[in-house]
Amino acid sequence: MAGGEEAAGGKGFKLLGILDVQRTPCARDAILHGAGGSVAAGMLYFLATSRVRRSFDVGLAGFILTTLGSWFYCRINNAKLRVQQRVIQEGIRNKVIYEGTVLDPSNKPKADARSGSS
Amino acid sequence: MAHPSQLGFQDAASPVMEELLHFHDHTLMIVFLISTLVLYIIVAMVTTKLTNKFILDSQEIEIIWTLLPALILILIALPSLRILYLMDEINDPHLTIKAMGHQWYWSYEYTDYEDLGFDSYMIPTQDLTPGQFRLLETDHRMVIPVESPVRVLVSADDVLHSWAVPSLGIKMDAVPGRLNQTAFITSRPGVFYGQCSEICGANHSFMPIVVEAVPLEHFENWSSLMLEDA
Repeated sequence: MAGGEEAAGGKGFKLLGILDVQRTPCARDAILHGAGGSVAAGMLYFLATSRVRRSFDVGLAGFILTTLGSWFYCRINNAKLRVQQRVIQEGIRNKVIYEGTVLDPSNKPKADARSGSS
Repeated sequence: MAHPSQLGFQDAASPVMEELLHFHDHTLMIVFLISTLVLYIIVAMVTTKLTNKFILDSQEIEIIWTLLPALILILIALPSLRILYLMDEINDPHLTIKAMGHQWYWSYEYTDYEDLGFDSYMIPTQDLTPGQFRLLETDHRMVIPVESPVRVLVSADDVLHSWAVPSLGIKMDAVPGRLNQTAFITSRPGVFYGQCSEICGANHSFMPIVVEAVPLEHFENWSSLMLEDA
């Protein structure tokens, strides 16, 4: 599969050389939210106190906390979606297998049900 | 299979490998944030105007940098242990296959119903047809039905080998005189490649593993054909 990386939608961009923000789900949004939170926290602290170095420290803390918060929120939602997806897939598979049989959950009991049917 | 200059994991083909990928993303984000923090601290320490840095103490920061790493480790350990126990679950396999490592090929035995066994040798580079992958293709693939739990019993005939298929999240040592068990389910049909993962002699790099997941009727046709040819 030569060129598979290009075929997947562009080469991944790795922050600090380790975090591929393009291909890791939720990473891009988390980093962008973190950057926004960092700028907002740092600016607000500077406007309140006029302390430059401490504002950068607050900005970093804001970056870490906002990134983590956005990351976990997105990952938990993704995990819930994956669980739902699996339940739906299982349901579709079972519907195909059990349709028309006594195990079909959508079957309503009929008074004249045939006996011995497969 | 892996593509040239690939650094990351291959796409997952089994639920366990999907979980491993998600865990890896989770841990890598934590590593990234810690690295960012350390980089920032290094820059701050190099550019500080403070001169009296080495005879200070602070109980508050000592508490923070003790509790925070402990919390981070717990955040990493909990999903890790969850996946560890998930990987050990064996849920009523539909098929059991024995994979035996030899110098230098794998042999597979399907003995649940009939006595089907075959060897799987690497196709030499000069015998490849266009489109086949160098050092990865074999003359006979281990064919399995898709979305069916499969148990693989791994052992070896001579020296240590290791049966590994990265896209399924499987690696199991093949030890002479010992049966190691692993199980997996393929989420999608396809062909999944792996290579021997324990040094076993001159041709250790030339005994690949190919797993082909096909729909059940195709698997039945394949096994009938293989039994006729045997």
